[in-house]
Amino acid sequence: MTATETVAAERASAPAPVRPRRRRKFLGAPWILLAPFLALFVLTVLAPVILAVAQSFTRINRAGMFGEKGVTSSFAGFDNFTQALTNSNFIQAIGRVLLFGVVQVPVMTVFATVLALLLESASARWPAFFRAAYFLPYGIPGVIATILWSFLYVPGLSPLVDAGKLVGLDIDFLGPNTVLWSIANIVTWTYTGYNMLIVIAQLKSIPSDIYEAARMDGASPLRIATSIQLPLIRPALVLSLVFSIIGTLQLFVEPQVLHTVSPAIVSEYTPNLSAYTNAFAYNDYGIASAEAVIIAVAAFVLSFGFLAWTNRKGRS
Amino acid sequence: MTIGRRRLLGLGLGALGAAALAGCAPPGANQVNTAPVIPAAAPGEKITLTYWAWLKDLQKVCDIWNARNPNVQVEAVFSLGGANGGYQKMYSALAAGGGPDLAQVELRTVPEFMLVDGLVDLSRYGAKQYASRYDEAAWGQVSFNGGVFAIPQDTGPMGWYYQPAVLEKVGGKPPTTWDEWAQLAQELHAKDPDVYLESFSVADSSPFISYAAQAGAKWFTPTDNGWLVNLTDDASLMVARFFDKAVDNKWVQTAYDAYSPGWTAAAGNGQIAALTGASWGDALVETIGTGSGKWKVAPMPKWSSGFGSTALGGSSAAVLANSKHPKEAMDFAVWMTTSREGVDAMIKYCGIGWSPARDYIGAQRQQPSDFFSGQNYNTEVFVPAAKQQPTDWKWWPITQRTINALSDQFRRKLTAGQSFVDSLHITQKTTVDTLRQIGLTVQEAK
Repeated sequence: MTATETVAAERASAPAPVRPRRRRKFLGAPWILLAPFLALFVLTVLAPVILAVAQSFTRINRAGMFGEKGVTSSFAGFDNFTQALTNSNFIQAIGRVLLFGVVQVPVMTVFATVLALLLESASARWPAFFRAAYFLPYGIPGVIATILWSFLYVPGLSPLVDAGKLVGLDIDFLGPNTVLWSIANIVTWTYTGYNMLIVIAQLKSIPSDIYEAARMDGASPLRIATSIQLPLIRPALVLSLVFSIIGTLQLFVEPQVLHTVSPAIVSEYTPNLSAYTNAFAYNDYGIASAEAVIIAVAAFVLSFGFLAWTNRKGRS
Repeated sequence: MTIGRRRLLGLGLGALGAAALAGCAPPGANQVNTAPVIPAAAPGEKITLTYWAWLKDLQKVCDIWNARNPNVQVEAVFSLGGANGGYQKMYSALAAGGGPDLAQVELRTVPEFMLVDGLVDLSRYGAKQYASRYDEAAWGQVSFNGGVFAIPQDTGPMGWYYQPAVLEKVGGKPPTTWDEWAQLAQELHAKDPDVYLESFSVADSSPFISYAAQAGAKWFTPTDNGWLVNLTDDASLMVARFFDKAVDNKWVQTAYDAYSPGWTAAAGNGQIAALTGASWGDALVETIGTGSGKWKVAPMPKWSSGFGSTALGGSSAAVLANSKHPKEAMDFAVWMTTSREGVDAMIKYCGIGWSPARDYIGAQRQQPSDFFSGQNYNTEVFVPAAKQQPTDWKWWPITQRTINALSDQFRRKLTAGQSFVDSLHITQKTTVDTLRQIGLTVQEAK
């Protein structure tokens, strides 16, 4: 950068300036100010992304029993992607998070919206206190939250399981058919407050004269919610849904932690766990990178597909 | 603005170039064991070795050595346990050209580190002269291709922990064969449906692998034409059929694994009667709050073929590829695992598993235990068990992957009723496929 500037400065001081001096200076400043950010961005985001994409097209060849007779790497074409997409564990993982998303995201969004509307209604008591209380779980790191919840899930420790037994119910929170919903419960508990806050922020931006006008016309609180608040918080809901879709695809911490107490959680339970396992337990970075790229593309397609769909619906 | 964009593009292309370069040097390409031998440090030269391990208080063991060897100081650095993060960190350090001199590597993971060319062949530094100091089974698990790739640090010969009072409900006593074990499991569960003889893990197939090895299975055999892979030999299928029957008839608890919180609670109130466990399981059994004086240890049940005992777990001290002082690192590892003071300190401070030293189990382990009903269980049960482990069992370059694949299939026992026998056949295929995908030479049995 400095080198080019020196050259530019020399050029500018030459008898016949090519360009006005002021414009050059004006261009340099933002780049210098951006440099710290750009350096970190390139180093920690851009380079890893490019590396992952490059690795997803790379194959390692070994000779002998451990590769002691030679190791080389070569261009693999789409082999890693084919392998990832024919890995039944990975496909099941995708199916699992899709099922999870279809159920958990709507449930959480409904909870968040109802809580937000209640807290923003005129008759709410101590809204600030309850807002903070509902938001609190979001402040607890996912690992800690999952450990806390696991004490309510593990038979022998869980008071819920004991209480169920008293009334003749045999509850198994960690079984093969239930553990996904136990995870959904943790995720809902953690993120409902966060999504509620997004909705509240949007609710607060609704001008008060609209409410006034509605009340003058004799609208009930329910009517205000359905006819004014819900249509006007649509952008916030769309935003929170897109975040939730991306979050669902990246599900990692909760199953990884519950893995130790639930035999039903396999080593490739979610797509991200599958990529993690392939990379760090198996040292197979080609497959892991291919899976990571697939997850990223899927998140991209789902998010933008959803946005396009809501936009079209919004226009019609 | 055009210049800026070009610059940005240049940066991006630079990163792409770096990525392409990184792609040219895959893990394992730098062949540490064909490079010249690194000479020992000159007399009087002061060096410091680092040892990454997940043993607690390991520094206290190193300090004993450090006091004796002012020129070779060893520094212990705590690392997360194995596949829970420790290996990930070690692999990354190796790939970056760094890492410690010594690392704790499970015996079953030694070949996986060899796959990324992460371990120094210690036979080039004279390790073979120490072979006679170690249990044959442990030494066999670190020897490949005529080399020695780690120093065994602890092992896990298996025995049978049990609560006599719970067995008494059906007048049972410790089974000497697996058939008697099945009989006992059936009777206990029939007498009280809340009580099980043992937990059987469908989430972790490693105990199953130990049982198969006890029956004489040999899943991987190194040959001149690469690996001979056979997960479905007669011994393995026999063991699979045995546990298929046990799980189908609900003679064993499958809802929770041994040592999990649920298991500890159940073992505490007598709903789990026993545990086929490694010698290191004693410390975990002792965490059962109400268990003191209620437990005893017997030799593990036997199959009609194979060995008297088997091994579960165990780790080694391996010299990593980027060590500048492999000779000194090996000397420390040998001292730590075979000298009396080393073994005693490893037991006292780190609570290691069974010492692989051939003729010393550690002073502390020659004492009777109050928790285990005053029994001198180590000398009584585990000393003979250590001598009866399978001696020709070899782990392989994708052990963890096979274990995970098998565990994933085993879980289908509960979710889809798939038999363990089918799981073995499926895992045989995926294991061979994976080995071929990563470019290794394999042949299938039969």
